[in-house]
Amino acid sequence: MQELVLIQPGSAARSELVREAAQADARREFEERLAECGPLAYRVARGVLRNTADAEDVAQEALLRAYRSFDRLRDRSRFRGWLVRIAFRIALDRLRSAKRREQRDTLWSQPAHLPPPTTTEDIAVSNQFQGHLERALEELPEKLRLVLLLSAMDGYTIEEIASLVAVPAGTVKSRIFLARKKLAEKLRCHANTIKTR
Amino acid sequence: MPCKHYKDALVEAAATGAEPQGELRAHLAGCDSCRSAFAEEKSLFASIDAGLHATSNAEVPPSLLPRVRARLDESPAPARFWSANWLVLASAAVLLLASFTAYSLWRTRFSNPSPSSAQTISPPPSVTPSKDFPAPALASPDKQSLSSSPNTLVVRAPMRHPRPTLATSTPEVIVPHDEELLLTNYAQQWRQRKQLLLVAEAATETDFPLLQVLPIQINELDVKPLVEGKSQ
Repeated sequence: MQELVLIQPGSAARSELVREAAQADARREFEERLAECGPLAYRVARGVLRNTADAEDVAQEALLRAYRSFDRLRDRSRFRGWLVRIAFRIALDRLRSAKRREQRDTLWSQPAHLPPPTTTEDIAVSNQFQGHLERALEELPEKLRLVLLLSAMDGYTIEEIASLVAVPAGTVKSRIFLARKKLAEKLRCHANTIKTR
Repeated sequence: MPCKHYKDALVEAAATGAEPQGELRAHLAGCDSCRSAFAEEKSLFASIDAGLHATSNAEVPPSLLPRVRARLDESPAPARFWSANWLVLASAAVLLLASFTAYSLWRTRFSNPSPSSAQTISPPPSVTPSKDFPAPALASPDKQSLSSSPNTLVVRAPMRHPRPTLATSTPEVIVPHDEELLLTNYAQQWRQRKQLLLVAEAATETDFPLLQVLPIQINELDVKPLVEGKSQ
């Protein structure tokens, strides 16, 4: 006659199972946000770094950091703003590296990165003007730069940007206005030079 | 060149993207240079917006998400810091609480001594020697340690409290009168001898009388037998 023995898992094994289940939940929850927020992190990094390879590195790093600290984020609805700030901060750190700066400038000088100009307005947005614009953007204060980059992205309203950077909508508007004015002051002479050619 | 008076207003209008209103609109209708400057400003802001749009909406490389997923597989899962280490944190909290309680008790006991404990700290005004337990020989008041004599209870007190009066006064020892006389005599002789020794260093040939200590004179006890009728 065969005996059946009921083996109950110990408390350690049970806690291990609970822990694994919690990790699987966290991973699944993070994966759901990854498809939506990954491009956002990349674009923020790209707006700061102006280099595709560096921006991809920074986006990966930001997403990994967010994943490792994902459990500490109590309010998961703030994930996008949190990720944007992480990506922006890493991108700024990367930008300050002189070695990376040289590499980026070299890559950026290649015209293949820009779409070919077609209309009169696109002529103004030439390689030369774009280069000046990127440098002027780099000189902007960080607060203004982040808000301006987000406002230029497709699909983000003032209210969404306000929630991303955790400031009132009025502050976002004033920052955008101030940033555009500063850029215009820096680029006015370059625009005139391009036009007179 | 635009008119100076309207230059800032032109830039503001171009930056906001709104159509000029009121006085500026009327001025633009009649001023060719300002109209031209306004068109240039609008073109400049349009160029800036187009450049920003191109920068901010760069195409996301298709390799981004697969690479992130691959790195997520390699990296450890997010640790539940607070729940995983609750045992360590609880132990640390208990230890901290116990340390704090012990320190509080210690501080309460020694910072606010009770009147009874204050009496034990302050030494008695005089120490009467007994046969079994002779008086302590001029114990240093600085060393407030536990004395070997049971007659004196010395408690180590915190330094911030005022020291007992023993620290500043000479201890007083009560002895019989004849012993007191002998001790006084001995002390005088000792002082003289000390002075003479100092003089002897200068004049080594000098003879000094020997120190003589008189024997203690104890009167004979007069023992008388009790009268039988008065005994109990």
